[in-house]
Formats: sequence, structure tokens, C-alpha cells
Amino acid sequence: MPSHNNSRRPYLPAFRRDWWLQLRFYQLYMLREATVLPLLFFISCLIYGLYSLSQGESQWLKWLDFMARPWVVALNVLTLAASLFHAKTFFELFPRVMPLAPPSLMIAVQWLATVVVAGGFVVLLGAWV
Amino acid sequence: MTSRNIGIMRYNPEQDKKPHTESYQVEADDNTSVLDALQQVQQQDPSLSFRWSCRMAICGSCGVMVNSVPKLGCQTFLRDYPDSLVISPLSNFAVEKDLIVDMEPFLEHLSAIKPWLINSEQSTVPHVQTPQQLARYQQFANCINCGLCYSACPQFGLNPEFRGPAALALAHRYNLDSRDLGKAERMPQLNAKDGVWTCTFVGFCSEVCPKKVDPAAAINQGKVESAKDMILSVFKSSGVR
Ligand code: SF4
Ligand code: FES
Repeated sequence: MPSHNNSRRPYLPAFRRDWWLQLRFYQLYMLREATVLPLLFFISCLIYGLYSLSQGESQWLKWLDFMARPWVVALNVLTLAASLFHAKTFFELFPRVMPLAPPSLMIAVQWLATVVVAGGFVVLLGAWV
Repeated sequence: MTSRNIGIMRYNPEQDKKPHTESYQVEADDNTSVLDALQQVQQQDPSLSFRWSCRMAICGSCGVMVNSVPKLGCQTFLRDYPDSLVISPLSNFAVEKDLIVDMEPFLEHLSAIKPWLINSEQSTVPHVQTPQQLARYQQFANCINCGLCYSACPQFGLNPEFRGPAALALAHRYNLDSRDLGKAERMPQLNAKDGVWTCTFVGFCSEVCPKKVDPAAAINQGKVESAKDMILSVFKSSGVR
């Protein structure tokens, strides 16, 4: 654009690094993103468990002992809560990305699938133990 | 009518180093909109600059931040802000004067995605469209180019090259239109570095949109299209000869 007006002096404020603290909506978004952190801990536990399994009985018992420590249990309960929160946000966003059926129906079906899969795991695990 | 206090961000490029908030007294009742209040203040101080035209949420020119949330001034009422109310220019854009921002970057993003029907077919017969075909894109066609979604988008704030919510929603709108044949021309814009993949579904754009366009949904549907497009291009280039 030709600028024939020297009094033009647009002011662009710097973008704030703490933008996500400014509104509740942004805070909830960051919380959704942060749910990956406890999940990383849980995955580390699983990998440690697989490694222990390959190392024989004494290491396996050590792992079981580790998993029963109060702070490990507490962190894994936090992971479960975080993952459920993430699932809730994901299930609500998904119908907007793939509008295949009415959103409330899609949300219900996704929760149903979660319960069925989780229930299946519990039954399998019970049968194995 | 009761008298109340409001804050307005002022910036005079000929005098001020940076914007500052000033407070004003206005007369308000339940029907007083933010735009009405601005017009009252302009009676007191004719140097106050802001944009408006239709006063009925159609033209999209009266966008401002009301307590840090992007709003149309003509559609936002003082009664909903009983405690305090500060009006500032739209975020993520450069301020020219008071509440007037430079919308040029937004308009460039809009035109980059070719928001018009691309169809070289020269025909005098009308392009017939069924209600179902219309329904596929209608929601995304309601955009009034107010730019509120750009002020709500932290990704645009971080990276002004990001095409942004309204432009990508409009690209999706034309791609979904049965009369349009321009998808192949628009996909490179969606696939590009500053296209749909910059979006992380913060979703505040859809929250502030006064026309319920849901640009966040459009962009993420665009990601599905973009993924399909990339997979197809791999197949095309890898040997179906
Ligand atoms: S998508 Fe909504 S918020 Fe964004 S420019 Fe269009 S009408 Fe305004
Ligand atoms: S004045 Fe036209 S949208 Fe507000």
C-alpha cells in the first residue's frame, strides 16, 4: 500500500508469553494439553514393567513393590483422572471434526466404546490372573 | 438511565508512545450497547476513533475487545458487565488509532485462499443445488469477516503468517460447495506450513464467533481433507503411470 501519510504509526503490542493465563478458556486448553505429562509417567511405568518381566522373578517382584508405593499409586490415579478429562474433551471435539451423526449420539457411543474396551481388559486380566 | 463508568483504550499515533486506558462517564440502561456507549463518548470527545456501520451484527466492522474478549460492539450490552468494563482494540492486530486496527493482514489471508466460486464452465444455465448440497457448507458461509476469531487465536498471535480461522473456514466452505471446482487450487494453501496444521484446536475462535460459523471445526475438517490430499498425492507420484 502506498503510504503518503507520515502520521501513520501502527502500534503492535508484543504477544504475551503468559497468554494462556489471561482467560479461563485458555487455561482449560492448557490443562487439556498438559494431560500428556502424567501419561508419560504411566508409560514409563509400563516400559519398566516389561523390562522387569524379561529380567526374571526377583526384578518382577521389585517392580510390583515399586508400583505399590503410595506416591506411584497417587501419580497413577492422577494419570487416570487426567486421561479421563482428556477423553472427555476429545470425545466432545471429535463430532465437530467428523460430523457423522448428531454430536450427543457420537459422544455417547465413544463413552460406550471406552467402557466396553476397558471392561474387556479387566475381564481378560481377571481370567489370566 | 443511570450513569456509569467505562474504560476505553486510547492511542493517538501523533502524540502517544503507546496506548493507555482512559475512563469516561456514560448514561446506560438495559438497552445500551458497547457501540452506543462509544458514540456517547464521541459526543464528549470527537477525537475518539472506532469503526461501525450497520448496528445490527451484519457488517462485521465494530469488533473490539470487551474485558479482553473479542466482541461485536453493537451486539454486546453494558448490562452484562455490571462491575467493570474496558474496551480495547482487537488483539493480534496493529493499532492505528484508538479502537481502529489494521485489518490488512486478515484481508490478505482471506484473499489468499481464493474465496470465490472457481468454475470455468461458461454456462447460461443456473447451477442447481439441492438443499442437502447447500447444507454441507451453509454454516461456514455465514462469516461476516469481523476478524474476532483472529483476536481469539493464540496461534495467529504467535505467528501472523498463519492463514487463520476465518480464511481457512472460508476455504472449506468453497471446497464443500457443489458448484465449485477450485479445490485443487486451494489445497496447497491448506497443506502449507501456515495452513491448517498450525491449528492446535484451542477452539476460542468458535467460542467468540458472533455467527456460529465454528471455524475451529472447519479447520479440523480441513485437516482431514489435507491428509487425504497428501496421501493421494503420494500415490499419484509413486507410480500409477
Ligand atoms: S468466522 Fe466468525 S469470528 Fe471469524 S471473521 Fe467470520 S464471523 Fe467473524
Ligand atoms: S456495526 Fe455492523 S456488526 Fe456491529
